[in-house]
Amino acid sequence: MNPAQRFHQLETRRQFFRGAGLNVGSIALAGLLGADALGDGKAKSTASDVHPALPGFPHFAPKAKHLIYLHTNGAPSQLDLFDHKPQLQKYFDKDLPDSVRNQQRITTMTSGQARFPVAPSKFKFEQCGESGIWMSELLPHMKTIADDIAMIKSVNTEAINHDPACTFVMTGSEVPGKPSLGSWLSYGLGSAGQDLPAFVVFTPSFPKASQAQALFTRMWSSGFLATKYDGVALRGTGDPVLYVKNPPGVNQSDRRSMLDALNKLNQLNYKRLGDPETQTRIAQYEMAFQMQTSVPELTDIKSESKSTLEMYGPEVTKPGTYAHSALLSRRLIERGVRAVQVLHRGWDQHGSLPRLIKGQCMDVDQPTAALMQDLKQRGLLKDTLVVFGGEFGRTVYSQGTLTKENYGRDHHPRNFCMWMAGGGIKAGVTHGETDDFSYNVTESPVHLNELNSTILHCMGIDSNRFTYPHQGLDQALTGVEEVKPVKAILA
Amino acid sequence: MLIFRSSLFATVLLVVCVSTSWPDDKIRYNRDVRPILANHCFACHGPDEDAREADLRLDHRSNAVDTGAIVPGKFEESEMINRIVSTDDDERMPPPDFKKQLTDAQKEVLKRWIAGGAKYELHWSFVTPQKPTPPTVVGAKNSIDRFIQGQLIKQGLKPSPIADRETLIRRVTLDLTGLPPTAAEVDAFLADKSPRAWENLIDRLLEKPAYGEHMARYWLDLARYADTHGLHLDNERSMWPYRDWVVRSFNQNLTFDKFTRWQIAGDLLPKPTIDQRIASGFNRCNVSTSEGGSINEEWVYRYAVDRTSTFVEVWMGMTAGCAVCHDHKFDPLSMREYYSLYSFFHSAADPAMDGNKIDTPPVMRITSPEDKKRVAELDVRIADIDKQIRSAALALDYVDPVSLDPRPEPKSVESIWFEDNFPSGAKPQATSDAPLRLIGKEDGPVFSGNQALTRTSKSAVSQDFFNGGVSFTIPKNGKFFVYCFLDKASPPETIMVQFHSGGWKHRAVWGKAEKIPFGKPKTTEKVSMGPLPKLGEWVRLEFTAAKVGLKPSAKVEGFAFTQFSGTVTWDHLGISATTDIANDPAWSWEIWKKRNQGKRNNTLPEGLRQLVRGKPAEKWTEDETKRVFGFWLTRFYEGARDSLQPFETQQAALEQEKEKITQSAPITMVMADLAKPRESFVMLRGQYNKPGEKVSRGVPSFLPPLPEKPADRDYNRLDLANWLVSGKHPLTSRVVVNRFWQQFFGVGLVQTSADFGTQGELPSHPELLDYLAIQFVEDGWDVQDLVKLIVTSHAYRQSSAVTPELIAKDPSNRLLARGPRFRLDAEVLRDQSLYIGGLLVPTVGGKGVRPYQPPNIWEPVGFGSSNTRYYKQDSGDELYRRSLYTFLKRTAPPPFMSTFDAPNREQSCTVRGRSNTPMQALQLMNDIQHVEAARNFAQRILKAGGATDDEKARWAWRTVTCRQAKAFEIEITLDVLKTHRKRYSKDGKAAAQLISYGESKRDESLEAAEHAAWTLVANLLLNLDEVVTKN
Repeated sequence: MNPAQRFHQLETRRQFFRGAGLNVGSIALAGLLGADALGDGKAKSTASDVHPALPGFPHFAPKAKHLIYLHTNGAPSQLDLFDHKPQLQKYFDKDLPDSVRNQQRITTMTSGQARFPVAPSKFKFEQCGESGIWMSELLPHMKTIADDIAMIKSVNTEAINHDPACTFVMTGSEVPGKPSLGSWLSYGLGSAGQDLPAFVVFTPSFPKASQAQALFTRMWSSGFLATKYDGVALRGTGDPVLYVKNPPGVNQSDRRSMLDALNKLNQLNYKRLGDPETQTRIAQYEMAFQMQTSVPELTDIKSESKSTLEMYGPEVTKPGTYAHSALLSRRLIERGVRAVQVLHRGWDQHGSLPRLIKGQCMDVDQPTAALMQDLKQRGLLKDTLVVFGGEFGRTVYSQGTLTKENYGRDHHPRNFCMWMAGGGIKAGVTHGETDDFSYNVTESPVHLNELNSTILHCMGIDSNRFTYPHQGLDQALTGVEEVKPVKAILA
Repeated sequence: MLIFRSSLFATVLLVVCVSTSWPDDKIRYNRDVRPILANHCFACHGPDEDAREADLRLDHRSNAVDTGAIVPGKFEESEMINRIVSTDDDERMPPPDFKKQLTDAQKEVLKRWIAGGAKYELHWSFVTPQKPTPPTVVGAKNSIDRFIQGQLIKQGLKPSPIADRETLIRRVTLDLTGLPPTAAEVDAFLADKSPRAWENLIDRLLEKPAYGEHMARYWLDLARYADTHGLHLDNERSMWPYRDWVVRSFNQNLTFDKFTRWQIAGDLLPKPTIDQRIASGFNRCNVSTSEGGSINEEWVYRYAVDRTSTFVEVWMGMTAGCAVCHDHKFDPLSMREYYSLYSFFHSAADPAMDGNKIDTPPVMRITSPEDKKRVAELDVRIADIDKQIRSAALALDYVDPVSLDPRPEPKSVESIWFEDNFPSGAKPQATSDAPLRLIGKEDGPVFSGNQALTRTSKSAVSQDFFNGGVSFTIPKNGKFFVYCFLDKASPPETIMVQFHSGGWKHRAVWGKAEKIPFGKPKTTEKVSMGPLPKLGEWVRLEFTAAKVGLKPSAKVEGFAFTQFSGTVTWDHLGISATTDIANDPAWSWEIWKKRNQGKRNNTLPEGLRQLVRGKPAEKWTEDETKRVFGFWLTRFYEGARDSLQPFETQQAALEQEKEKITQSAPITMVMADLAKPRESFVMLRGQYNKPGEKVSRGVPSFLPPLPEKPADRDYNRLDLANWLVSGKHPLTSRVVVNRFWQQFFGVGLVQTSADFGTQGELPSHPELLDYLAIQFVEDGWDVQDLVKLIVTSHAYRQSSAVTPELIAKDPSNRLLARGPRFRLDAEVLRDQSLYIGGLLVPTVGGKGVRPYQPPNIWEPVGFGSSNTRYYKQDSGDELYRRSLYTFLKRTAPPPFMSTFDAPNREQSCTVRGRSNTPMQALQLMNDIQHVEAARNFAQRILKAGGATDDEKARWAWRTVTCRQAKAFEIEITLDVLKTHRKRYSKDGKAAAQLISYGESKRDESLEAAEHAAWTLVANLLLNLDEVVTKN
């Protein structure tokens, strides 16, 4: 916030408080918690927002107000889920032609292999819905939402290992230290949620059999932006939001009395020293108090109908599961939260892929489809952008032993599949194409920077104009080069 | 605070004008013009050769004038102006599709500048500073104040009055030690009427160990210090001796030039001290990986880039990141120059893959003075025993068996492993069906000695055994023997003896072997010895070591007596070896001599080894013979074993202790270069696998040159460090003093303290900055002198109260018409709570500790096999150490840090944000650390605060704020106390819960409801805006 703007805000608040006398704390909140300012395209950046948007944001009328990003961490095999290659069956255990591999760099996990035998997927594929989007038998529920999504088969990135790739997919840079997508969004657009954080993150449980790659808080941290734009983790164990629970022996009414006194005393301090930060602090304590009520209300799913719960599957009532996170994602965006990110781990199948990927799909298939249905039924999908995918793809050649029934796949950044759906996205389209080996993009490549640019575009932001000066550079989520959104999938 | 250059330029210009005190108000290139050109023109008409259009560069006056872009004095004739005002899209600059268009105000500035002669200036920070004379200002004594107030006068402002003493002592104590003052310290300061009271206070604070701890914190952000590797597995690394060294060096007031040299090149200093080598770990603090599949060259490259960029940011205040991929667009740093700097760091000896190890080489072990002393003592005692062994050996009446007539018969030598009990040092265990039982002669059969081992089992495998603690060596031709007594009334079906040598793999079994399912049959893991021995009497069982797969000199660390059903008694297990002593070098001195002379024997010590090898025995002098013989007697002669064994056991224990100390000495990662340096290249587009032109070590040409290259070697990191602190470098001292300034005032004189380049903000007080930078060098880079100069200034000591006018005129307090006021840092907030609660444990240094942390901070992100996947909380003192010592896992930093803007140490951080969020409120109110501190503070209030509520409330206020509370503050406090008291006197359970939260014991004599009520009051006080803020 620039000094002038900050001063303006301060003045508004100061005038407000001036008339309010000592009981300002609880009233302060009423003033600060104005109604949703995001209506017809331009956010009114007024002092009445808890999470105000930047002036001039969004750049143009957004199609989506909320983002739900379902990140399948570890790199799911596009070859066994979405990128159907029937021709591969006849290449079983034959060497990947050099002309296809074209001396691309590969990880040192397989670069020492004597040969690169082709491993066709053992799973059956079918074309789904009217759109005819291909999906494998691993995703019976997701098949039912085929006509609602845009499948991108040509997503690509540079990194060939998890750590840099995960950092890139979420922050647009392989080197740690940059803000995550959700942080950018909450920084630029603020949030319509008045008593919840603008950006919420889930790290649900994953199948025990899977060797899960690590996550990093940098995947939802604010990097060089202020930490108030950090993603707030909604946790399955312990307090759902850190420290949201009063200590044992303290109830909300004790807290209220304590806060009333605190606000009065802080108000006196403001009178003495006149520091605007004091007013902000009073408001933040009130917000904290609100969260102590709103968070338990959010996580209490008793009010959900039986049919809704059934739709998400049996795990939905267990906090910390993917199904539970998916349901809460919907509840969050209903409450105005700007960005929700679910990071599901365990998709790194270097070996025993057919067995392990089944468990992974069991976790996400039904809840993901349910979330889409649920959003649609409630009319939320038109305002919500849903993104599904990992940090890179997997190789067509097998890592380790290859049989018809068993194989592994190494990292493959050159092409992988992601899908997007909801606000601003064309439904029922497939974009991009790969060669017969799902090894090279042959048509309409989509770099992750373009994917991110598309996300921002749907949210009403021109990624090229969305910058923050840091280290002598106007930093952008999508890098310094001009990047265009993927027009072909925009509604 | 962020500033949008593109969209809000007008505002920025306004603010800069207000707060920058350049001597006059004419259009200045650096201040007014350059930012416009840099933002709107240089991308295509600037230093980057590859991106340059139309061969025009506007950053060089000659080129701009020669091409006619600028006609000095005549803006109407200047092509540049024609282009920027043009309405023709084909003509207009910047081109219509360029993101950043010029505003009318900016165009006006450019016109006025050309009209005034289009004077260029070198970028201010690249020019060596000249020491300015401070302006004369009435009443201003401190040189800082003469600059600050001189500027305030120009702006029509006045400095604020000095803050009251209570505010001041709290401000400076927090700033110098990271802890608040005690009430006693406040009293002492208030009572000190001497004119030097302030200086005395500062001197006292600088002497506290807490000073170094607090100063170190800021540096550790820059050094990107942490306790894990940071990438992928994010395993633990041992680096904390470096952290402790930083604390130590601030406490010892190590001058900043040395501080610099040691960290950049401590390993290259002549005969580096331990501290100098520890300091070199600065360049090992970067994140590293060991992710499977990674490509080595890529990571060697990345580490060198990280080190180079960190070096440039920390000591030169510049962002070199751009030049990794292309010539810097704005600063005169070319890609080649960047890689010339990189070349200094590119030959580091650490591996590309950190191995997920705690001690990725190169490392150093550091033995503490106490341990060193102990090791020396042990050495003396070990040597003493050596002497005793020698005299005991010489006292033996040795007769060489070779000399005997008749020649002695081969001799059987037995060593006993079990007699009366398992060997001492072993921890015997038994299967759970029956405890281990040793019986005396009155209870049953005993073969020899006083006791035997007996066991009764009901149709199952049952056994007594040990593993570890002692070990035995298998002799040549070794043959085991053991006595067993099988009960006639209840015989076993199977008996077995097992040996552990690197694993339980050696077994002898009698009877039905299949009943005991251990080992692979028909291998040495399970050798059938035949039927069960005769029942009801002692039977000697024998088998060779070879038969169960134990080779001579193998070490046996455990054995087991096993049976299936029945009752078995065991005794007298041992091993015998038969030897022809007249032909055995372990018995005959003559034989040993014969076999060893002329040969290299590595078991001989230095000196004797050469003697035995180089000189025939018959030519040895008497003394030489005595030495070799003495050694043989003590070390090799088997006949001496029995008499020497007690000494050797004693000695072994001492040696074990010594080994333990040396092994437990902390490890720290240090810097070293490869013996053969790597060749370095410009890496095209910043890609590790695209080497371009080869580069040699050197420094950017826009900065002073390195001294001439020595004839016998290449430049190294030490040259680079010396270059920085030579006193001639235009950036180093400016950057450093600016950061210290930022530490005390919240904002640096250059706000962008990590960017002194042309994209950075201009200094608010350029002359003051130069003055301080030069003074710092003249004072011998003395950090404490600089700190004193700053905190004794009026600018620092003035009141931080603001008025609306002041906020309007100078919202971010760049002019310093008021004192600094901002929220305390993460560590200070936690430490302050612990300190006020009386919980803080002030131990300095040591391995990272694990205080309270909510569940599931590490676990949801941790890699399955990471050794930092599970957070295991410490207990006791470790819960209450200063925050500096909290174990820092980079991929999941502790919430008390990250919630309050502490960086995760993945990258160097020059300035922390200072956010104000509801998450912070929740944490300060509800975190167990803060609640426990509050209840301990409440306990202090109840015990020391006085007799009445009123007195207690006043005491509490004084303790947290250092000042006397106002009447209405006490009133509000007592009101809420009453509310809490009423509630807790009714709800005893709630009170009991609250006052037992946290591990510390409470004083049980305090009434529960009262304690609980005051705990919430204490919690309130610790949450006051005034208390979480430096006022």
